[in-house]
Amino acid sequence: MLLDFQHIRKSYGAKIALDVPAWSMQPGEVVGLVGSNGAGKTTFLRLILDLLQPDTGQVLFEGRSVAEDESWRLATGSFLDRSFLIEYLTIPEFLEFTGATYGLRRADVTSAIAPFANFLPVSTADSRRYIRDLSTGNAKKVGIAAALFVAQRLLVLDEPFANLDPPSQIRLKEHLSRLSQAGLSMLISSHDLGHVTDVCTRITLIGRGEILRDEARSEETLESLKSYFASEDAGELT
Amino acid sequence: MTPRHLISGPAAFLLLARAQRRISLRALFMRKSWITWFVVGFVALYVTTTLLTLGFFFDKFSRLAVPDVPPVRVVNQYLLAAFLSLFFIRFLFQKTPRMKIVPYLHLPISRRSLAAFFQVSSLATVHNAYPLLFFLPFWMRFVVPEAGGAAASSWLFAVLLLIVASHFAILFLRSTLQQRTGLFYALTLLLVVTAVIDEWLGAGLQRTLSEFLFTDILRGRPLGTVWLLAFTLLGVVLSTRTLLKGLRPEPPAPAPARPWLRLPRAAERLLSADWGTEGQLIRLELLLMWRNRRPRHYLIISLLFSTMYLAFMLGPGGRITGAGMSAMVGLFASGGFILNYGQLMFGWDSSYYPALVTRNIAFRTLVKSKLVVLQASCVALFVVSLPLFVLLAPEQIGVHFAFLFYNAGVTSVLVMELAARNRQAVDIGRSGGFFNYEGLSSRHWIWFIPTALPPVLFMIAMDAHQELALAILATAGFASILATNLWARYFAAGLRVRKQRMLAGFREGSP
Repeated sequence: MLLDFQHIRKSYGAKIALDVPAWSMQPGEVVGLVGSNGAGKTTFLRLILDLLQPDTGQVLFEGRSVAEDESWRLATGSFLDRSFLIEYLTIPEFLEFTGATYGLRRADVTSAIAPFANFLPVSTADSRRYIRDLSTGNAKKVGIAAALFVAQRLLVLDEPFANLDPPSQIRLKEHLSRLSQAGLSMLISSHDLGHVTDVCTRITLIGRGEILRDEARSEETLESLKSYFASEDAGELT
Repeated sequence: MTPRHLISGPAAFLLLARAQRRISLRALFMRKSWITWFVVGFVALYVTTTLLTLGFFFDKFSRLAVPDVPPVRVVNQYLLAAFLSLFFIRFLFQKTPRMKIVPYLHLPISRRSLAAFFQVSSLATVHNAYPLLFFLPFWMRFVVPEAGGAAASSWLFAVLLLIVASHFAILFLRSTLQQRTGLFYALTLLLVVTAVIDEWLGAGLQRTLSEFLFTDILRGRPLGTVWLLAFTLLGVVLSTRTLLKGLRPEPPAPAPARPWLRLPRAAERLLSADWGTEGQLIRLELLLMWRNRRPRHYLIISLLFSTMYLAFMLGPGGRITGAGMSAMVGLFASGGFILNYGQLMFGWDSSYYPALVTRNIAFRTLVKSKLVVLQASCVALFVVSLPLFVLLAPEQIGVHFAFLFYNAGVTSVLVMELAARNRQAVDIGRSGGFFNYEGLSSRHWIWFIPTALPPVLFMIAMDAHQELALAILATAGFASILATNLWARYFAAGLRVRKQRMLAGFREGSP
């Protein structure tokens, strides 16, 4: 088992942000995490990356608690938001730094990032700008590319398609499909139901901090999710 | 309903005053711990009592230093110098109103009204209030009886003008120099050099000008007041223009437009991938302080201290009186950067701390890289200030050497102890003011005491055995440097335990 949630509960004051008695993910699975704003998706991802401490329970990565054993950091590439970027570096500097933390030398970083080059901001001016001076979309591409090229066994992305231009969304989907075929496990949270059902083989639906559905993607998944979100205000489940 | 005109004039002032009153009250009372209130209360009481006492009983104090000169003349002589000193303090602490205006820019309120309101409301600052704690009682007790009501009122009016002129000059300078930091350093250098020359050569130009100006005003001549009024108006006009211009900032330029922000090529080569993660982290720390305004200022201020201010301290005039003062000079000459910058380590990283703790970076490596940077800063400042010790105070070289080891070994560890407990975010990239003290809590000010005081007290206690005292301090420092790996392990364990608390603190405080 790659990831295993055991009796996880996380509250912010009186509000229960996440309550997951059990949830697991096998190696090679590509899981899409969907849910409305405030449903608990980001909390779910932050718990996996040990950026939040659960009130009860634990998250296991390959059988070891992520809070106690940090070996998951060797195998995981992740990008949740701009706090994953070091904004006063240029794009090459940031990629070099990220690579070095995984033991890659400068030349190794260049070859490791090469397959994702068409996803990075390409203009000479952009590559020389500090990340803080890039547009939201371009900064996001840098963060995602850095996660893609270091991910060994798990890739965790939060809303990767938001703020990307259409060509970049298409390229990202291609990269994710290629990595998925190569056996990389992925956990992708997204509001874009079309993209997430295109890329993922399994969909976990979260609502009000609980897992409402967890099933393999099928022909009907997209329509079913659409009808769920359309009726969510009324509290109905189809 | 769509308004037909932009809101301006008194209506805009009223609207903004109501909103700002709420914001100011919330900012005053929100998220302040009892210890902050205690420290702020104590400092406020201390400053108020001191200034009032000084104002009411100035004759008693001035008699001790200059027995034959009347109090009013003494104050007139040093008024300009005092305001220049206050000017520097204001420069460090006073904020420009630009950031306060930004949230209102999209509303149908005229920009001129916004600028006018925030320019006027910016006058309500402690920097304009506390000089009056001295000047008002002094004016009542000494100026009015000596010069009479009319002339004394002119004198007080001139002092008020000087306060207001300083206020707007600071607003203008800070907004202007934010774009041209090099100019700030040049001006500071010029000011310090001028003051040092004026003092060393005994010319006393500042004193002569100050006395001429204010004694003239007391004699009922209006020229000085007119000159100050013109200076104040110039400050108002220039600062308002700069403020309005700053509301439409230019887009940032690509990195090559600022090549001096790159590290020197030799340093780049030295810190490239061959050093592995540790080298990259050291490089990251250097780039952090080089490319971000706030950390860079800590660096420059430390350099200024270790050169210009040190020259002033070590130069003629016998300012180093005793072992305690000697220890303070030693502590700051090579450890100034550690004491300023080091306390906020990790806080500097707050905006990307998740990037560090989710990647393959061991806490031990992270801490060690920071300790190495702090130790290296001691060596750099030691080398920079060594010529001053050789030229101006060769008898203090032993102190300088001993404190190099003490600072690199002990001060760096003491500062790291606080830094590793820092849970307050620091916004390095979008700092509103030229200097801001966001991220510095009362704990940081209080921690300065156990960090700086022990070696000073130790040196005072060992006054009769100075060489032995220095040898002990240097040995302790050297032993601590040898234990760098052990310290790294110790701090890493703490960081691991406090990881979630630090992340939560940084998240809460992130802009």
